[in-house]
Amino acid sequence: MDWSVLLGQATVNGLIVGLLYLLMAVGFTLVFGVMRMVNFAHGEFYMLGAFGAYLCTSVLGLPFLAAVALSFVAAVLVGSLLEAVLLKPFRKDELNGMIVTIGLALILQNLALMSFGPDPVSMAPVADGTSTVAGVVVANSRIYVVAFAIGVLALLYFFLRFSKPGRALRAVVEDPETAAVQGIRGRIYYPLGFGIGVGLAATAGALMAPLFSVSPFIGSTPLLKAFMVVILGGLGSIPGAAVAGLALGLVESYSALFFSASTADMTIFVLVMLVMLLMPRGLIGRGEV
Amino acid sequence: MSASGSSNTSMTSPSARVRAWRLPMSAWLVPLALAAACAPLFAGQFVLHLAVFTCLNVLIVNGLSVIDRSGQLSFGHSAFVAIGAYVSVLLTTKAGFGIGLSAGIALLATVLFSLCLGWVILRLKGVYFVLVTFAFAELLRLVLLDWQALTEGASGIAGIPPLEILGLSFDSRAKFYVLALVAACLSVALVFHMFRRPLGRAVDAVCENAALAESTGLSVLRLQLVAFVIGCAMAGVGGVLTARYVGFISPESFNTGVSVAYITMLVIGGRRSLWGPLVGALVLTPLPELFRGAVQTQHIFYGAALILILRFLPGGIVSLASGSAWRRSKEAP
Repeated sequence: MDWSVLLGQATVNGLIVGLLYLLMAVGFTLVFGVMRMVNFAHGEFYMLGAFGAYLCTSVLGLPFLAAVALSFVAAVLVGSLLEAVLLKPFRKDELNGMIVTIGLALILQNLALMSFGPDPVSMAPVADGTSTVAGVVVANSRIYVVAFAIGVLALLYFFLRFSKPGRALRAVVEDPETAAVQGIRGRIYYPLGFGIGVGLAATAGALMAPLFSVSPFIGSTPLLKAFMVVILGGLGSIPGAAVAGLALGLVESYSALFFSASTADMTIFVLVMLVMLLMPRGLIGRGEV
Repeated sequence: MSASGSSNTSMTSPSARVRAWRLPMSAWLVPLALAAACAPLFAGQFVLHLAVFTCLNVLIVNGLSVIDRSGQLSFGHSAFVAIGAYVSVLLTTKAGFGIGLSAGIALLATVLFSLCLGWVILRLKGVYFVLVTFAFAELLRLVLLDWQALTEGASGIAGIPPLEILGLSFDSRAKFYVLALVAACLSVALVFHMFRRPLGRAVDAVCENAALAESTGLSVLRLQLVAFVIGCAMAGVGGVLTARYVGFISPESFNTGVSVAYITMLVIGGRRSLWGPLVGALVLTPLPELFRGAVQTQHIFYGAALILILRFLPGGIVSLASGSAWRRSKEAP
């Protein structure tokens, strides 16, 4: 094998993982922007989304796209409900709100453990065969997943950029008080913001379910990566999260090629700590301090 | 301490007789606590085992509460337990130091390390501090996993000999329990002492309003650093003792779940009270035994308890008892 092939493979893998990080981090940062809440339960919604997709396709026999959409809608509903019932008293209360989401994460993970058991299950691939893209051999299932992820991101972009609720949501992220003065109702947009945030996590889980195995414990790694992406991109900054997510995926993939995977992990941790100390607003975006 | 002093005065001066009404409460509590502390020694090995862990948790969670009372919540407390444990064990196995000496050096190492780290990261506030401590704990865990030549990686270090101080070996459960009990009581006494002195008041003031504290001439960074180092040192001692008691350590003994457990104990016991960590550790350490064979139920209970306590009882279990300790800590400026 020559280097260009290896680099090509690493780029493709990096992009896939980067898209996963991107979806996780955008949802995470959206929740933080709206509610000033570090959502430790974010990874559990990823896990629930993956189980949702698995159950929909394997048990109900639905097509993959419908399974992803169903997972997203269910997560938005559940997330909004949880926000309105559980998290409402803790809006803007950074530390206590964070501890509450730790409690929520414990509950969700162990409920999943009780219902699905600890053993990982694997989902059938979305498509068979491989294709050659610009000289690089890629499994078709991966191409599907990447296409779906890009589709989700495009939908999200248009929703936030042009639709009325999307613009209102951005206004709440920007400045909740001014938004309230303009007649944007917190009663609706806090639950909606949290719901869409965890919905994105569920979508990420559903999209990645055919590529990786599904178990109640899969949420912690994406959560950790979302933390790092969001810190690099600036807490609360959506464009920052998007760029940093893709960058982190690529950097991880390349450094796993040249060094060992754990060296890459450690380097990124050190980088994250340095960024936090030297540039708490983030490397790329302009987060809040 | 004050109880014995005022009991003398009530015997001599009649005017103090009114105050004597309050005495029975504390006069009852002391022998009761003594009896409760001695009971595990006669209650069989299993209860003794739980009692040792309870004492260690009291010590470690007390450390976390000192940091928390300065206004910073550490999500990497288990990392300092790990530093204490690994340094003390590696010094005996790799460098051939005496057990007592390596325990001392481990404590010193924890202090120095937390001093250097705290000096840098305490500039961050709120969730940023939480996230950076979380990231640090994960980083340390990865280093411990990866540095196989030194730490044996994921398989951990087994067969750690029991603690030995000045020729006295703590090789039985009962002996170790007495040691852990002394350590836990010392930590409670230290926290009590600290928060009655100007230093503790200043730390409280920093937590209450950092900007105001700074403008009255208190150095927020320095006070938070003092609290951070004291808290981490307690965790380090806890680590040394845990490693010596259990006889086995691995990076997974100090993962995020352990930090979450410490935070849970602190919050459920009561974050703003001197008794909170004690009550939290006492209530939550034996709890898994109620759910034996159903770890999931236990964790769900933990999660639900966290949410319910924060929602309806932000002062923790301690605030249920309208004891004087709680009132005093609440009234303290």
